[in-house]
Amino acid sequence: MSDALSTADQAGNVVRLHRTLYMQQAIRDAAETFADFASFAIARDGEYYAVTIADIDADADGDVVAEFCNFALYNTASRKRSKKA
Amino acid sequence: MSQTHIDQRDPEKSTISISLDVGLYPIEVLYGAAYIFIDRCFVLLDREGGEGKGAGRFVVRLRGKSPLTTVQLDDLAGEFANELLSQALRRKIVKQNQKIIEEITTQAISGAAGGSLPTDFLDTADDGLDFLDDPLGIAVPWEDKFKKKKEGADA
Repeated sequence: MSDALSTADQAGNVVRLHRTLYMQQAIRDAAETFADFASFAIARDGEYYAVTIADIDADADGDVVAEFCNFALYNTASRKRSKKA
Repeated sequence: MSQTHIDQRDPEKSTISISLDVGLYPIEVLYGAAYIFIDRCFVLLDREGGEGKGAGRFVVRLRGKSPLTTVQLDDLAGEFANELLSQALRRKIVKQNQKIIEEITTQAISGAAGGSLPTDFLDTADDGLDFLDDPLGIAVPWEDKFKKKKEGADA
């Protein structure tokens, strides 16, 4: 990927999402959305959620890891918004 | 370093990194701006430095979904900064007008639900009268009334 989104570790495809900015459930939902294209393992790592992404489908159209990050962000934003409303 | 700042740009990877003070905008503003950009680029939010609340900087990493030049990357960063400002202003206006918005919405909903109609109009009970009935004798011609009285007076 995705060293564009440079908290992603290219070698192991580990994406580190800051815990104050991403909700765990939102990350889980995003992982579920992309379950057909890769496998995801979410763990706490200090101030971050470390998401290990493996077995990425080689035939998947587009950047699975980057799209996953977008989904996690979107899910977080909409969850926080609905919580507030 | 303060406010919004371009930390790093990489045209080869079509990426740009922007940072801003945590205290500059509320986090909802950051989410709002990021949401607008999600369809155009890959967005990753991060936070660095500062332990306490309001300390440190938000880092926004944007990568174009298609290849971008340096100029386009700078434009992207500028647009993101503008969007932050726009979101902050929208938030402020909504907060200021919250009561008015709620009032108008309540009136609109109650109007649509028929709540503002007088209850008399909603009473559908049948009083058994036809439109041709005239229990008060209003429809009787004046001449007929007068004739009867006159005939009575003659007799």
